[in-house]
Amino acid sequence: MNLVFALAIGIVFGAGVYLLLQADLLRVVTGLALIANAASLTLMASGLSRGQSPILPLPGDDEPVSDPLVQAMTLTAIVIGFATTALLLALTVVLYRRRHSVDLDDLSREEAAASARDEEEEPALDTWSEMALADDAEGPAG
Amino acid sequence: MMLIAGPLLVLWLAGLALAILDGRRRAVGVGAVVAVAVAFALQAVLLGRVLADGPQELVAGGWAADVGIRLRVDALGAVFAVLSSGIVVASLAQAVATGVRSRALPALVVFLTLGLTGLFLTGDVFSFYVFFELAMIAAYALTAAAGTAREVSAAFLFAIVNLVGSFLFLIGIALLYRATGTLEMVAVAEAAGRLEATTAILIAITFFVAFGTKLGLFPFHFWLPTLYATASPPVAAIFAGALANIGAYGLLRFGGAMLPQELALSANALIVIGSVSIAYGAIQAIGRRDTREVLAYSSIGHVGYILVALGIGGPVGLAAAVAFSIANSLNKALLFLSSELRGRLTAAIFLVGVLSVAGVPPTAGFFGKAALFDAGVRAEDWITVALLFVGGALSFVYVFQIYQHDRWRPREEREREMPRTPAGTGQRLAAGAVALVVLVLGLWPQPLLAAGRDAAEAIVTARGDG
Repeated sequence: MNLVFALAIGIVFGAGVYLLLQADLLRVVTGLALIANAASLTLMASGLSRGQSPILPLPGDDEPVSDPLVQAMTLTAIVIGFATTALLLALTVVLYRRRHSVDLDDLSREEAAASARDEEEEPALDTWSEMALADDAEGPAG
Repeated sequence: MMLIAGPLLVLWLAGLALAILDGRRRAVGVGAVVAVAVAFALQAVLLGRVLADGPQELVAGGWAADVGIRLRVDALGAVFAVLSSGIVVASLAQAVATGVRSRALPALVVFLTLGLTGLFLTGDVFSFYVFFELAMIAAYALTAAAGTAREVSAAFLFAIVNLVGSFLFLIGIALLYRATGTLEMVAVAEAAGRLEATTAILIAITFFVAFGTKLGLFPFHFWLPTLYATASPPVAAIFAGALANIGAYGLLRFGGAMLPQELALSANALIVIGSVSIAYGAIQAIGRRDTREVLAYSSIGHVGYILVALGIGGPVGLAAAVAFSIANSLNKALLFLSSELRGRLTAAIFLVGVLSVAGVPPTAGFFGKAALFDAGVRAEDWITVALLFVGGALSFVYVFQIYQHDRWRPREEREREMPRTPAGTGQRLAAGAVALVVLVLGLWPQPLLAAGRDAAEAIVTARGDG
């Protein structure tokens, strides 16, 4: 059972990392959701034990109870993973509305273009100090 | 005990109420400031109680002590909780005084404070993760709150990088639970000493990567400059002054208190990574013009000092790490809060921050750095002492560069980057309050050094091996 879990976690995590490195933002978000699921699986795997269901009152007290804590933790982790995925998707929607693309290459190109426009509108910095340097170069007569 | 649950309840209820109100209205913003200030006051009382009577505990929901989730506050947690919520109070007050433009900002800041407070006050590894994630999700949303493309893409990068860090942390928790069979910090510290060396070092590395990402340590730093340069000054102050404390606290708690043998084993690696971080941050900061970018790279450099102090280790090293973290978050919050205010008084306030980062007395930064030097000299680690000196000299250069760049140029040139109108009274008061704390701690450093010593003592006594 441990081997099955280890392989499953490895495959899910690996697929998540592969998607995370793509340029398409939706794939990035999906990749992160997969990594979240790999973490949930790891949590489940950390408390694998056989036994009767941990619900009080216990019918017979000779058999051990399976570990309920990992299930509680996994449930919480799933909820948190859900919240983060929802937030990331919301950010993706806003970016798509502003830039009409969810491709990272397009986005960074537009970002560069926008900052270049800003720089053109601005006069050169430090004109004053450049003038001062020009004065010095002309020598004490200037 | 009411003092532990109090701040969390106040923040939670206030956050819920503020979330449905329009944060752009002044009354809502003021309400948020009041809620965070009440939580800050309660935590200050709690800190006093912890220092007088030792660690305080509360088992949530009235469950039996080994069943319920335990909140446990020792000197380390209380010091960081008071520091972080104090910085949030000042930053949020300035944001409200400047005028809030996005509806959700006050509620998000309150939720962020709730997450921060919770993780400093909890004694359970998994609820640490839950509070950590609460604070982080509020931070991602806060970055994106203004909704322009630039901010949303900064938030996206911030969220993706840090979420990978968080899920690695979660995997680390699963490994820790598998190896020790418990999630309670005190019990984990006891069990960790009996772990197999390879298992323990694997768990320690997972936690190190998670908190290194959070701190913006050198190879995990690349998301940080974009974020700090994009966020508005009060929000950047919250990130640099309060949120970054998660990383410092996490390294101290998980490394110093729970896995001390692994921390000692990796001491040299920590000093090397810390040194690279110091050098990288300082050199990049000198090369930048934009004030907030300089401050962002300076933050990368300054977390390197915390790592070096952890690497030196022992009570003196840990105390130096805590004292330096306190001084550093005050400095960064102060510089961000006063970076874009105009006027003579605010220039003086900014200068206090500049002197403190450079480590010139009488400021808190001087004693933060002095504690590091002291730790280095006592450990007779002369390379580290030399490095601290060079790093200090470089930070002196870049902070005065930004001071000169922002305040000493002709008016028409400065006005392109600085606001045209002088700062309002509320904005000045918020920045001035932090400056006052930095100055008072510089003139009377006893509380700062005692906080470091008490927190280090809490870490050492929390260790299983004593």
